[in-house]
Amino acid sequence: MAGELLTNVSPHLHKKDETIARAMKDVLIALAPAAIWALVVFGFNVVLILAVSCIAAAIAEVVMRKIMGRKITLKDYSAMVTAVLFAFLLPPTTPLWVVAIGSFIAIAVFKELFGGLGKNVVNPAITARLLLWITPLSVYTTKFVRPFYWKDSGFFTPIATSFSKGVTTFQTLAGNSVDVVAAATPMSLLKSGRWGVDVITGPTPIGATWTNSAGRPTLGSLFLGLKSGCIGEVSVLLLLLGGLYLIWRGTIDWRIPTGIIGSFLLLNLIFWNQPLYNLFAGGLFLGAFFMATDWVTSPVTRRGKWIYAVGIGLTVFLIRLLHYRPEGVAIAIFMWNFGTLLIDRYIAQPKFGEVGVGVFNKLPILPEPAPAPAKKEA
Amino acid sequence: MGRTSGLLYRIRGGVHPSDSKEPSAGKEIRRIEAPATVTIPMRQHIGAPCVPRVGKGDEVLVGTVIGDSEAFVSAPIHSSVSGKVARVAPQPHPAGGEVLAVIIENDGSYRRDPNLEPPGPWEDMEPERIREAVRAAGIVGLGGAAFPTHVKLSPPGEYPIDTVILNGAECEPFLTSDYRLLLEEPDSVLEGIRIIMRAVGARRGIVAIEDNKPAAIKAMESSARGSGIEVASLRTRYPQGAEKVLIANLLRREVPSGGLPMHVGVVVNNVGTAHAIAQYFSQGMPLVERVVTVTGSVVREPSNLLVPLGTSFAHAVEACGGFTEPPGKVIMGGPMMGLAQHTMEVPVIKGTSGILALSREETGYSVPAEPVCIRCGRCVDVCPMGLIPTYLGSYAHNEKWDLLHRLHIEDCIECGCCTYTCPTKNPLVQLIKTGKAELARRKQQADRREAERREAVGESGEAGKDE
Repeated sequence: MAGELLTNVSPHLHKKDETIARAMKDVLIALAPAAIWALVVFGFNVVLILAVSCIAAAIAEVVMRKIMGRKITLKDYSAMVTAVLFAFLLPPTTPLWVVAIGSFIAIAVFKELFGGLGKNVVNPAITARLLLWITPLSVYTTKFVRPFYWKDSGFFTPIATSFSKGVTTFQTLAGNSVDVVAAATPMSLLKSGRWGVDVITGPTPIGATWTNSAGRPTLGSLFLGLKSGCIGEVSVLLLLLGGLYLIWRGTIDWRIPTGIIGSFLLLNLIFWNQPLYNLFAGGLFLGAFFMATDWVTSPVTRRGKWIYAVGIGLTVFLIRLLHYRPEGVAIAIFMWNFGTLLIDRYIAQPKFGEVGVGVFNKLPILPEPAPAPAKKEA
Repeated sequence: MGRTSGLLYRIRGGVHPSDSKEPSAGKEIRRIEAPATVTIPMRQHIGAPCVPRVGKGDEVLVGTVIGDSEAFVSAPIHSSVSGKVARVAPQPHPAGGEVLAVIIENDGSYRRDPNLEPPGPWEDMEPERIREAVRAAGIVGLGGAAFPTHVKLSPPGEYPIDTVILNGAECEPFLTSDYRLLLEEPDSVLEGIRIIMRAVGARRGIVAIEDNKPAAIKAMESSARGSGIEVASLRTRYPQGAEKVLIANLLRREVPSGGLPMHVGVVVNNVGTAHAIAQYFSQGMPLVERVVTVTGSVVREPSNLLVPLGTSFAHAVEACGGFTEPPGKVIMGGPMMGLAQHTMEVPVIKGTSGILALSREETGYSVPAEPVCIRCGRCVDVCPMGLIPTYLGSYAHNEKWDLLHRLHIEDCIECGCCTYTCPTKNPLVQLIKTGKAELARRKQQADRREAERREAVGESGEAGKDE
């Protein structure tokens, strides 16, 4: 009378709105304000870079999945998130072919070769960005422009970095040279370790709209996003809003951004290392809210998340204190992606009804040797 | 008397599915007739199964013992109808597989066994006598686990019990049987908890109810006024009714890993169990019927029924107007921990708190062929036991038995929060259950091997030297 009845193990209810696609769409929504702001500040280039990055990522996903005989999972939007985040890490004048190569590698190598979403050890977007940085292609990804530089060359005239005979210049996509001056990013001001602006940059203009009497970018300029830098990192305000939206939606865990930003700020306050300037100048907010919170490459336990977050904050602080690398945040997250493996395995999770909660899991570091076979007595 | 609040002390984890109790919450408990034949399985509780005490052709009456066991962890089984035993044979069981059952042809007269009489006033009865009476009545935990109640009421002397908690949380969505009992029979429930308190020597008694059942809380409070029994309102959150979670919330005591409530001086019983005990003491009728919520989107008239044990699911659903469309899944119990049935011919047993029928749409979701984890950590956040379900799942899948033990897989209460919340629909509970079963099997095997070895060595007098 009942016909075919499905029998499987409980629970028989599943949370409806809890899917990968929903989470990824949330991330894209949260990134949208920063992307639109980047478009305003850096012109039409931004649209082209984002589009190329997404297309290359989609191609990479389809090709790799086909080769490996897996189901195509474009519908979960995870490749799109990686593509957008990768684009966010690039200067707005990156040539499109460099974008395509980087985005393809991010998905094809650092995601799919590891086994796809959930199996990758490191954040694909960050790793691809770091890979570009250590290859000769880095000459195309290190030149920055002033905000609203397009007032001179035109909003819809995309420009790209070009490199010949050891000199980098800017050209239009058609190859005509454009008269755009490279700018020093607020981070690169810190990089030299000297705080006097004229000494560092010489004739290079400061990449910020508002500067104070000493010629430094004002904090307001840094916070609102009137500064030069990578596509995604300009407006701290909009990144913060996007991040808070994700926390409100429950997509990301509040512990990770809080731990990173909190520990970083605290350390800079203790050492009085330009705390607020350091906080707003680089890619810390982009990293803390959108990169370090990547589900796959961050620890699953609450305690592990705190360790991971404070570890990243400390690493970024050290990198910036000792050696002003603009990629400090990316390097720190990349490092701690590996830390995640150890944290999840060895840091114990407080269990219900456990007396005296230990810090470490009692897991063997190496597989325990198999017990010796019992000797047979003849 | 007083009203303790579980609002302040929030448990870690848990989920909050829609409670879906509306369809049956307003329906009074309605007694239904047993079908022409009832099938009473000889395993209706945790512990040793019963041995049939009747054979083909025997006459039985309502309340006649038809199965019993010599084991301590067991409870006798009584006939729920009067009539003739048609046969004794293995039959499909709601917990899976086939179990020996006594099949009785119901003569419809429901003649009561004349040997039955109430055990007398409990107020000045020895605790030992109360336990004997509870066992004789065949009472087991009616919340679903069906653990023999007299065993629960016999804590060893080194664990003095100070508190008895009656679990009326009913945190499983859809189910309303406990709610209706609290609402309709508050005095009987109260009588039950006082009998239990006397049996274990506890001073304090608490009836714990989730705050999505305000009417039940009110009924209980007005009934308990002046009796010294507390009524506690709990925040509605699944799995609030899980024994360990309940104790932690009400008393801030954590049952140690691998321990039982008695280790922290507590005995927890379901409100239905308390009601059954009170019924036996007032009328002398053993456990032969129970309240079952028949509900779900495809049941025409969701209801709370008083069902004679051994009634088939099909008959119980028929009493609720049948199905509006063929169900996709029929579950014994609630949707979070209940057991999916492959046939409607299984009987209602002592542990059947509900019959839930879901439509095909509701049951349709794709289960990944291989556990896929995107490491979002949702399962860790919701696990009330503080475990890491995703690792347990993947270690079970990859047969890393040793690691499962180290990550305390035994502490899993199988509440289902992890699977409920998993974005990739990873069947974590299924994997963990498999892992637990395999670990138990291995332990048993190792114990047996150890015993054999000791026996072999023991004769030469070397047993003490080992290890």
